[in-house]
Amino acid sequence: MKLRRIHVATLSALTALSLCGAPLARTQNSPSPTPQVTFNRDIAPVIFHSCSMCHRPGEAAPFSLLTYSDVKRHARQIADVTRARTMPPWLPEPQPLKFADELRLTATEISLIQRWVDDGAVEGAASDLPPAPKFVEGWQLGQPDLILKAAKPLTLPPQGTDTYWNFIFPVPIQETKWVKAVEIRPGDKRYVHHANILVDRYGASRKREAVPGTGFGGMEIRIESQVFDPDSHLLFWKPGTVPVPEPEGMALRLDKGTDLILNTHLQPSGKTEIIQPSIGLYFTSQPATKLPMLLQLENDAKLDIPAGEKDFVVTDDFTLPIDVDLMAIYPHAHYLGKDIQAFATLPDGTKKTLIHIPNWNLNWQAVYRYAEPVRLPRGTTVSLRYTYDNSEDNPLNPNHPPERVVGGNRSSDEMCHLWLQVLPVNFDSTKGDPRMMLQEALARHNVQKNPADFEAHYNLAAMLQARDQLDAAIAEYEAAVKLRPNDATANNALGAALVAAGHPDQAIPYLRAASNNHPDYFDAHYNLGIALATQNDFSAALPEFRLALRLQPHDAGVEANLGAVLAQIGQYAEAKSHFERALQIDPNQELAKENLEALQRQMTSH
Amino acid sequence: MASPPRNRCSAGFLLTVLLALSAMAQQSALDLDGKPVDPLKAAKGKIAVLVFLRRDCPVSSRYAPTIQALARKFSDTATFWLVDPDKNDSPSDIRAYLDQYQYHLPALRDPAHALAKSAHVQITPEAAVFNRAGQLVYDGRIDDWFIEVGRSRPAPTTHELEDAIRAAAAGQPVARSEVRGVGCYLSDLE
Repeated sequence: MKLRRIHVATLSALTALSLCGAPLARTQNSPSPTPQVTFNRDIAPVIFHSCSMCHRPGEAAPFSLLTYSDVKRHARQIADVTRARTMPPWLPEPQPLKFADELRLTATEISLIQRWVDDGAVEGAASDLPPAPKFVEGWQLGQPDLILKAAKPLTLPPQGTDTYWNFIFPVPIQETKWVKAVEIRPGDKRYVHHANILVDRYGASRKREAVPGTGFGGMEIRIESQVFDPDSHLLFWKPGTVPVPEPEGMALRLDKGTDLILNTHLQPSGKTEIIQPSIGLYFTSQPATKLPMLLQLENDAKLDIPAGEKDFVVTDDFTLPIDVDLMAIYPHAHYLGKDIQAFATLPDGTKKTLIHIPNWNLNWQAVYRYAEPVRLPRGTTVSLRYTYDNSEDNPLNPNHPPERVVGGNRSSDEMCHLWLQVLPVNFDSTKGDPRMMLQEALARHNVQKNPADFEAHYNLAAMLQARDQLDAAIAEYEAAVKLRPNDATANNALGAALVAAGHPDQAIPYLRAASNNHPDYFDAHYNLGIALATQNDFSAALPEFRLALRLQPHDAGVEANLGAVLAQIGQYAEAKSHFERALQIDPNQELAKENLEALQRQMTSH
Repeated sequence: MASPPRNRCSAGFLLTVLLALSAMAQQSALDLDGKPVDPLKAAKGKIAVLVFLRRDCPVSSRYAPTIQALARKFSDTATFWLVDPDKNDSPSDIRAYLDQYQYHLPALRDPAHALAKSAHVQITPEAAVFNRAGQLVYDGRIDDWFIEVGRSRPAPTTHELEDAIRAAAAGQPVARSEVRGVGCYLSDLE
């Protein structure tokens, strides 16, 4: 220790001496002249390439890193966060399957930064400075064809825990459009950690807004859909994201009446912030020719993590029924997630790491796109293996002291999800939509994995129904209803399937259960009306259609059916008005057209 | 003709003296009107708490509601000062920041880091607690909310600054007199 101290003192004396113009002595004294690390020559290229896109005005980072003095003001901090690999934020380990836009410093770059700071963070020769990075101002892909802005801003309080908020953007289009690129502008980027677009084709999310236009809270949202139209694109924003147009032929379909839901993760800043996101859409005249879909591996049912458990492992393994190209991957867990792994085992036994994140951080979750599509042949098993830490050692643990945590939608619950964007390849299109085969295989897999999983049975049933396998669908709906006898959605679906299969008598109890459990459930009243009318019980059907009409006053189908029931019980005048109203709403409403003509014939013949 | 090395040497010496003089002139902290202030004297027998902030440090900024709440909670026993160690910040920059973050606390500029040195503070946000006798009894983080830059707990589990103020108010020794914070280095501003 003493020796060391003397050594330091001598060194500083030497430094002081060199002030008095002794550069000659210095070169003589240093045996191996490693060139001094300078900002202009060594550090600026790293910063400009890997930091400045976010560290500039208007972007997500809290301060700019564009000039020597910007970087000097944070030099030691930059040395710390790059050494810890906290910055730039890039969670996956290096692997043979490369990701696009990998944002990972090399070990050499990191040690250069350390040396630069240790050497006093000098600027260096002006002639060494590379040109300042150029950035596109405003919309990154030029003026969008359609800009959607959140109807009402959200006021984010100065403090408190992270907020998860969903903004709803109705898309004002009158006909189907094809979207080749989407740019998400999340509002003030400094306070939005990430944002994710979900496509809601049925207006299901609007019902969750307390006041129209304000959006609704919640970290995870589920959107019910009525036909087979699987999600296909991962539309994700994180700080530094530059929008990428979809590959040729893979445009996203948007229909009239579609809503885009922007799910945002917001972090308080210390002061009140106003967040009002917008979305830019870029259209193409080319309809999609390639139909990717999102495959979800998950095992939330296995998430029951005892308090204090440090290494709780959850797995899921799904074998592909068809050949696919894997385009992108999106792992998702909450605050207990620690080690996140996904891999593929090919039919020949080869194992490929798809992603490995050894130090999961929800704050930096992201969609990772592969630099090249990854071909996964039929028979490949895709696996996830997530490890959770519910001990006191996990500083992000939402409970202090730790508590038992189960799977769920709240941020204090846990999740085990892995989304894969896959494009079916080498399929025989005469055998139907390959996405249906994938979805059905996945639904069967989920039922086998967790026979007590309500959603697994329900989704398999819906899939089977979409593929016209009505009897098999009914069996799965029955299994779902057995698991949740009071679930209105499942009771209604079972009832509707039974009506479709020609068993209205069996359907009626389930439809009654659905409408009793959820009195404002339009579908349940409508389907119950149909079931009763099919049984010729028109007086019982009548109040169901009247209720349905009150719930959806602009539905041509209800108007037509209500008219039909009224006509059956001899109330012709009122029946006629409902047929006419149905045709006002939809001039092509067949039932109303036929019945109105029949009614007019009958009235004139009398 | 004097030999060139000598000339260079004396020029270097002169420069050093000038630097030292200008540092002397800015030794004390200044209030936003430019008047030198000694916060320990101004505390007039109360406990003095100095909280060091950088406007461009997001960790500092996220603490604004916590700091304001602590100052309110201990208003009877402790005088709080916000200290800005960034020599490039003008009084109007600081006023605008205080306004944005709804601070109702007096602020000081510490361009030569004189206060920071006497408070042993190295990072923003860190605080220093001086007891009624003007002795430094605690310097370091406010609590353990942040684990590292960009990674914070859902809520802090320790409250070092609050504990230190309570101990100083009761005339008790502080359990841990120095716990380094997470945030931005003062030395990066030199």
